Amino acid sequence: MAIIEKLPDKIRARFEQDPLFSAKTDLRSNGHFGEQWIAFTEQELTLWERDGLQLLKIGMNDLKEARAVNGVGGGTLLADTAKGPVVVARYTAALSPLFGFAAKLLTAIAKGEERPAVSEKEFPRYCPTCDNPLSEGTQVCPVCKNNGKVIARMLKYAKPYKSQMIGAGFLLVLTTLVELIPPYLTKVMIDDVLQPKNMGSALLTIVAGLGLTALLLSVMQTVRGLIGVWVGSKLMGDLRKDIYSALMRLSLAFFDRRQTSQFIGRVNSDSEAMRQFMTDGVIWVSGESLRVIAIFVIMFSLDWKLTLFALLPMPFMVIVSMKMWPKIGRRWYQQWRSIFRLNVLVGDSLQGIRVVKAFGQESTEMSRYSEANREVVRHNIRIEGLWQGMFPLFSFIAGLGTLLIWYNGGRSVLQDELQLGTLMALIAYLTMLFGPLQWVSQMINWASNALSAADRVFEIMDTPSEVPDVRDPAPIGTIKGEVAFNRVTYGYEKHHPVIKDISLHVKPGEMIGLVGHSGAGKSTFINMICRFYDTDEGSITIDGVDLRRISQSDLRKQIGVVLQETFLFDGTIAENIAYSKPDATPIDIMRAAKIANAHDFIVRLPDGYDTRVGERGHRLSGGEKQRVSIARAIIHDPRILILDEATASVDTETERQIQEAITRLIEGRTTFAIAHRLSTLRNADRLVVLERGKIVEVGTHEELLDRKGAYHKLVEAQQELSKIKGVEG
Amino acid sequence: MKDRYEIAIADPEEVIFSRGQGGVFQGVVGGKPYEELIVYRAFPFLYTTQFISIRDAKGEELCIIRDIAELDDESLKEIERELQFRYFLPRVTRVDSVKQKSDLWLWELQTNLGATRIAMRNLHEHMQFPGGNRIILTDINGKRCEITDWQALDGHSRKQLTDVV
Repeated sequence: MAIIEKLPDKIRARFEQDPLFSAKTDLRSNGHFGEQWIAFTEQELTLWERDGLQLLKIGMNDLKEARAVNGVGGGTLLADTAKGPVVVARYTAALSPLFGFAAKLLTAIAKGEERPAVSEKEFPRYCPTCDNPLSEGTQVCPVCKNNGKVIARMLKYAKPYKSQMIGAGFLLVLTTLVELIPPYLTKVMIDDVLQPKNMGSALLTIVAGLGLTALLLSVMQTVRGLIGVWVGSKLMGDLRKDIYSALMRLSLAFFDRRQTSQFIGRVNSDSEAMRQFMTDGVIWVSGESLRVIAIFVIMFSLDWKLTLFALLPMPFMVIVSMKMWPKIGRRWYQQWRSIFRLNVLVGDSLQGIRVVKAFGQESTEMSRYSEANREVVRHNIRIEGLWQGMFPLFSFIAGLGTLLIWYNGGRSVLQDELQLGTLMALIAYLTMLFGPLQWVSQMINWASNALSAADRVFEIMDTPSEVPDVRDPAPIGTIKGEVAFNRVTYGYEKHHPVIKDISLHVKPGEMIGLVGHSGAGKSTFINMICRFYDTDEGSITIDGVDLRRISQSDLRKQIGVVLQETFLFDGTIAENIAYSKPDATPIDIMRAAKIANAHDFIVRLPDGYDTRVGERGHRLSGGEKQRVSIARAIIHDPRILILDEATASVDTETERQIQEAITRLIEGRTTFAIAHRLSTLRNADRLVVLERGKIVEVGTHEELLDRKGAYHKLVEAQQELSKIKGVEG
Repeated sequence: MKDRYEIAIADPEEVIFSRGQGGVFQGVVGGKPYEELIVYRAFPFLYTTQFISIRDAKGEELCIIRDIAELDDESLKEIERELQFRYFLPRVTRVDSVKQKSDLWLWELQTNLGATRIAMRNLHEHMQFPGGNRIILTDINGKRCEITDWQALDGHSRKQLTDVV
C-alpha cells in the first residue's frame, strides 16, 4: 500500500514507479519556511527540491532505524545509518503526525518488520478550496462556510416562539403606524384651526384624537414589552440549556486542556448577549426600519423636495457604519477576552485559596488581579468610548439635515409656497426619523456583541466529542466482566504515547493490581477502561465487545470508580451515595454504607445521612469521604471496579477500615486497583508492572518477588522507605 | 561519585559542539564524545540562550550550559543553530494582516525564517502573553510564532494588532 502526496512532476519523473511514501515538508533543511519533498521506495530514501534537484539519498541497506525527533513547534526526521545519524528533513508541528508515521514505516522497512497500518489521524487535513486547516472530525471548512449562517442558526432558537414573535411584530407595526398620526394631527391643527383662527368643534376633536392615540400607544407598548420579556427569558433558558448540555457531552480531554471555571461565565454572559440581540435587537431592527420607511413615505407625500434634504446625510452614516462594523466586533471580543482572563485568574486563585493563604501570597494575588482588572477597564473604555463617540456624531450629522429643511422650508413658508403646518409636520417626522437612525450605532453594538458571543457558543457546540457514541450501540446487558487490551497505544498528545502497545487479558472476577512508578501510565490505563479517552491504536474489549461499540451510558452502568481525589457533590450524604441510583431506598443506602464501613460514623453525625457536604465535602475527613465514595460505588453495583489509590491519604487505622470495605466490595467483580503501598495489593490475583507505558512484568506477588525484576525493586525501595519512616517515628 | 542531586554546570572549556556529517548536532562533553546531542531550554521564554540542558540521545542530562556566549565560536554557532531547529519559534518581523473569516482568525506574517500564515480557531486560547509586550501565537496545528515586542513593530503591524491585543 502506498502513502502518497502527489509529487511534483519533475520529481515523479525520476522514479520508475510510484514511491511507497512521499510527502511535502513545510520547512527547508536550514530551518526556514519553504518546501522540500521526501520520498522513499523499498530501495532508497530521498529528499528533493521542488524543481527535481536531489538533496539526499540513503540506501535502505544502510538504514538501521528512522526516528521522528520532535522539538517544540517542529521536529526532525532522523535516519540512523551505519555512519551515524543523518538529518533527513525538518518540519513544523503541523506535520509531526505524518513524519511520525514516516519514521515508523521506514524503521519497519529497514528492519524487515510488519508495516504499520496508516490511520486517517496521521494526515493533516486542509480545506480543498481555501487551503486552511480543517479541524478533526469535520468536513466543513469554517472559512468557506456561509457567513450568514451564524445569524440564521441563532434565529433558529426563536422558532418555537414564532407565534409570540409574530404577535409582537404585528403590534409593532400597529404602534409604528399609530405613532405617525400625532404629527399629522398637529399639521391639521396649525393649518386648519390655529392659523385661520377657526374656533369650532375641530379643535376639541383633534385634541381628543391626540389623546386617544397616546392611550392606544401606551397599551400596545405594554403588551409588546411583556411578550418581549417572556420570549426573551424563554430563549435565554433554551440557550443556556443547550450550552450546558454541549459541555456535558464533551470528552474529558477537552477539559484537561482548559481551565474549567471559565465556562461558568461563558454559559451565562454569552447567552445573555445572544438573547439581547434576538429579542430586543430583532424587534428593534424590524420595528425601526419599518418606521423609517413609513416616515419617508409620509414625508415624500407632504413635500418631496424638502425630504431630499433630509436624505443628504444618510450615505455618510451608512458608510461610517460599514467601516466601524468589524472594528466594533473586534473590540467587543477584546473586551470579552480581558474579562475572560480576569475570570480565569479569579477561578484559579479561589480554587487554590488554601495555597495562597498558606504562603501568605494574598497581596501578590491582589496585584495580579488589579493588573488584569486594569486591562478590563482599558478595553471597556475603548469599546464604550468608541460608541459614545459615534452616537453624538450620528446625531450631529443627522441634525444637519434638519437645518437644511428649516432653512429651505422656512423660505418657502415666507414666500407662501408652503403651509406652516406642513413644515412643522415635516420637522416633527424628521425628529422621529433620527431616533432610529441614531440607534443604528447601538444596533451595530448589540449585533456585533451577539455575533462574537454566538461564535464562541457555537464553537463549544460544534466541538466534536473525542469519544463519540456509535449510532447503533451493541446491547451488552449485564456483563460478565471480561476485559481485554489488544495492543493498545494512547497519548494525551498524539505521538507522545503514555501507553505503548499494551496487551492484557483479564478474566471475569479477577483482581488486577497495577504497580509502577508515577508517570508509568497506571492512571491512563484505567482511564482507558472507563473510555474517558479512545485508543490511538489497538482496541479494548469488554466481554468481547469493542468499547467503542458500547454506548457510554451502558458502559458507565457497568463500571464503578473510587478515585484518589474523592469528589462529593453539593448535597446530603444520602444523595451522594445514591448518585448513580436515584431510586435507591434508605435501606439500600444504609446497607451500602455499612459495607463501606461508613454507616457508623454517618449515624453519629448530628444530621446523620442528611448531613450536607459542601462542594468538596469539607465537613468530612479524607478517610470519611473515601468511604462515602466507596459506598457510592457499592450501590452502583458495577461488574467492573476501578480503585485508584483509594487509600492514599489516610492513616493506618482508616486504611484498615477502607481495606476491609474494599475487600467486601471487590467480591465477584473484575477489579483494577492502583496503590502506592504495595501491601494493599496483596489480595490481587495478578500484578501488572508498568514502566514508561509498557507492561514489563505480570504475575502474582510471590512469582514476581522470585523473579527479582522490576517488582522486586519496587518492593525493596518501599521497604527501605518504611525503615526510614520507622526511624523518624 | 558525583552527587545525583546537584545541577551539573558545565565548564565552558570542557564542552565542544559541532555538526556531524549527517547534519546532526554532536559534541564532546567532559572528554567523552557523543554522536547525537539534544538541547533543552530550561527557561524557553525567559532565558533563550542561558541555562541550556545538554542531553544524550536517550534524554539523560549531561550538563547545563550557563550561557552559550561563554563557548568557543564554532560551538556557539552550532548550538545556536540547534536551538533554532529544536525550538521552532519564528520571530515575527511584520504583521501583514489579521483577518477574521467566519470563525477562523488568519494571520499573514513575515518572520525571520520567511513568510507564513497561521490560522486560529479563536484568540483567547491561541494567544499567550508571557509578560511585557511579548506575544506567542499558536495555530490550530501547534505551529508557533513569537512577537518579541509588539510595540516595537512598525506602524502597519501595530495597527493590525491594536484591536486583537
